[in-house]
Amino acid sequence: MNVSDIKMRLLACCVYVAAVGMLAFPSSAAAQSGAATATQTPAVQESTPQLMERIRELERELAQLSAAAAPPVAQAAAQQQNPPAGGAQQAPMQMPMPPATTGPLNPENTPPDSTDPQALLDRIKLLEQRLRDLESSAVLSEPETRVRKVDVYVDPDGNQFDQPTQGAKKTTTYQRERVFRRQTINEKIEEALADAAEHNVTVGVDAGVVAQYAHRTKGEPTPADGHFYELVSADIFFTAGIAQHTLFFADIVGLSGPNPEGEMLVRTLVNGYSARLVNQNDISLREAWLRTELFGQRLAVTAGRLDLTNYFDHNIVANDETTQFLSDALVNNPALGLSENGVGLSLVYDAKNGFNFKAGFQQSNSSATSLSDSIFSLAEIGYLARPFGLSEGNYRAWYRVDNSGGSGYAIGYGASIDQKIRQGVTLFGRYGASDAEVKRDHFYSGGVQFDNGLGIFPSDVWGVAYGQNDFSVRPKERLVEGYYRFSLTERLNLSFHASYFLELLEGGGNLGYFVPGVRLQASF
Amino acid sequence: MFKAKRIVRISGLVMTVLGIGAVLVGALPAPVSLGQNIKVQDPTSVVMIVNRDSNDISFLDIKTKKIVGRTFLGNNVNPHMVMMSPDGRYVVTGGTRANKAYIIDSRTLELVKVIPTDIAPEHLAFSPDSRWYYQGNPDGDSVSVIDMQSLTKIKTIPGFAEPLNITFTADGSKAYVGNYGAHWVGVIDVRRHELLKKIQIADVPGVAKLDPDRYLGEIKGINIAAPSLDGRFLYAADSDLGVVGVIDTRTDKVVKVIRVGKDPWRIYMNHDGKYAITANNGDETISIIDLRKNEVVATLEAGPDMTGINFAGGKAFVISSSSGFVYVYNMSSLRPAGRIKLGTNIQLETATTDAADEKLYLAQSTTNEVVIIDAKTEAIERIGNVGVYPWGTHIMDSKDNYCH
Repeated sequence: MNVSDIKMRLLACCVYVAAVGMLAFPSSAAAQSGAATATQTPAVQESTPQLMERIRELERELAQLSAAAAPPVAQAAAQQQNPPAGGAQQAPMQMPMPPATTGPLNPENTPPDSTDPQALLDRIKLLEQRLRDLESSAVLSEPETRVRKVDVYVDPDGNQFDQPTQGAKKTTTYQRERVFRRQTINEKIEEALADAAEHNVTVGVDAGVVAQYAHRTKGEPTPADGHFYELVSADIFFTAGIAQHTLFFADIVGLSGPNPEGEMLVRTLVNGYSARLVNQNDISLREAWLRTELFGQRLAVTAGRLDLTNYFDHNIVANDETTQFLSDALVNNPALGLSENGVGLSLVYDAKNGFNFKAGFQQSNSSATSLSDSIFSLAEIGYLARPFGLSEGNYRAWYRVDNSGGSGYAIGYGASIDQKIRQGVTLFGRYGASDAEVKRDHFYSGGVQFDNGLGIFPSDVWGVAYGQNDFSVRPKERLVEGYYRFSLTERLNLSFHASYFLELLEGGGNLGYFVPGVRLQASF
Repeated sequence: MFKAKRIVRISGLVMTVLGIGAVLVGALPAPVSLGQNIKVQDPTSVVMIVNRDSNDISFLDIKTKKIVGRTFLGNNVNPHMVMMSPDGRYVVTGGTRANKAYIIDSRTLELVKVIPTDIAPEHLAFSPDSRWYYQGNPDGDSVSVIDMQSLTKIKTIPGFAEPLNITFTADGSKAYVGNYGAHWVGVIDVRRHELLKKIQIADVPGVAKLDPDRYLGEIKGINIAAPSLDGRFLYAADSDLGVVGVIDTRTDKVVKVIRVGKDPWRIYMNHDGKYAITANNGDETISIIDLRKNEVVATLEAGPDMTGINFAGGKAFVISSSSGFVYVYNMSSLRPAGRIKLGTNIQLETATTDAADEKLYLAQSTTNEVVIIDAKTEAIERIGNVGVYPWGTHIMDSKDNYCH
């Protein structure tokens, strides 16, 4: 007998005793009447056996009513705890019942079945509420099923046991599981759509239109003076998850339009998009690779046709001609010396503790007849630091070897740093050096980016950078670029650029260009 | 004759008083347990696990790591969040698909009352004095007020927009409600149980003509207004706006707006009161906010689909639900400190931290497990068969009791 049961019995007993007491304790007026007193006294006197019988009867009725109103589980418990005492009577339904009591046997406080008008009203109210709930949330009520991985034990005869059994071997299998989970129709539809999307090839597009104007400010006349240029680029990506932690990716690119480098006498590309240009108006396969993650997803291995600059010489502020600086010298370190994509392999080890290590190689010359003649190898170490109490900063150093020049192995090395100095303000710097025909070329660049609400609109980004390309053989180059990017929508950006290129010519003269431009970029 | 009459009267009076007394005793909620059915002696000694698909609450003994009891709520109830009242007397949960609140005696683990609420009850909170149980009903846009003395719903406060988490002030005079379907925090006058005011966290930009869906499509607003350690300020992250609004609880005004990463799910407060972290699911980063300066001091890479952040052993543990990883960050250096792989093709839900800030109890739904993570050593221990699809955990007096 549990506590609630005791309480219920006590309640029934006391209600009855109280009723009898009220009868035995008449009002003062009635007490004056001898007849009244005479009628009550025998009732009390004869009460002992009858009272006990009546109490037992009430107890039985209450237990039956409570059990009838309780949910199935509680009902079973009630039956165990209160076995019917030899043909218990049904509750007289005509009799108005006491209000249902709350407890483990009736936690929902469901009104008992009764013909009592109030009880009926209570039931109607409850049913109305349930109807409202159903109408409001429109749920699917069928049990949810899903497949689970389970460990079972199979003996030599093929008998399967849930628990370890002598002679049975532990094995893993899969089994459907059914649960009582009620879902809305929306949830069901969303699940189906997500499942379908997971097994499909995802297609993405990154398109850019860059219009630029070149104005010569210094030096002898060149064709690029007062001319407009426009380069249109469209990348189409295909992504598919083909195995556990394994991804296939392909990028097809098409470019069209005159690029400024065709007329401007500059050492590095004015428009970073031009680096993708193989043939005008042709579609070319830019990347196609498989990527998988090994050793607890710490090591990412990518193999196929690669762009190694996607993995090395990263920089948060200056690494993407589609959204950041346009000038190629501010996109990648010129010391990398990687002019085209090719077949290769990349390994990235990231323990997510601030350090990361990268290594890779790539074919660097598509006209080479073997990989041995055109191997470009790179290694990099990266570290995330918070120096001097500043925000996070990324510090990277790399080293590369390239034999595609035909004169042995040319080396290059460099560093790429981006350091957030406060929220929304990030400095960056790059340095690189590479073997040249004579001595070494040296490259420096640095700048600042503002974002995180430090623009006209909250999502705007802007930045200014300076680059210095000291080639061992003249001309050397100095460049400055500033841009402001409006985030028109989450998928559409419009940015305005202004660049100045100064070429320090071999003869001592200078050649300067002011290049304003506008870029419209969409990715979806 | 007269004496007999007097005896009858007195005995009648005594019986009546006893009867009325008994009726009143019987009407009192939640029996005082008499010993034989007590399953949990110390309410702080158990981890409560809310199992969405087995429709029950299971109770894991922290010392023995055994399930000491389960309370079945009913088929298709699908409970969402479990919480113990501050006085340790009751355990409550909202049955999302049953539209009901369930009240469990925390010692006997018996279901003592089921109370109809509004539609889809999920997150909930208790007033500090344990008197009021506020149940948020996101689909009903309301908060149900349940009196824990009479165990009855006394009011349904309307006027919210997908109310998720509720935060009471330390003195219990006000409650703040995060509205995920809007960009404001609702303030409830707890004395009258009425929505007192709405605090807009930040200006919502006008809808761009080029992108009408940006703010008119799905809305992801405010999950919770989380209190600072001293209770003076509340921090409310707005997902769509990518900001955290700082509310002064004395004036109920926004005193600062901090821009964080993209699509912050919500903010989590470090236990020492120095830092708070937002889990930015839009760009898979976390933003660490210095609470003295109210500035972001670090934005660090994290994982996809973050559902919770716990603090223990001087570290932050960020749960990336779909990747099977818990990302770890050193809260002294504010740098990443590795990640713990809990499995492949699993779904992590949320965790609670023990009161000593030593261990995390993380619900792993698809394997029906709770994973115990030692904050210091990062060793893990799995407790299986806790129930079907454990959705969340809760420990009384833990500083990391939350849901998703």
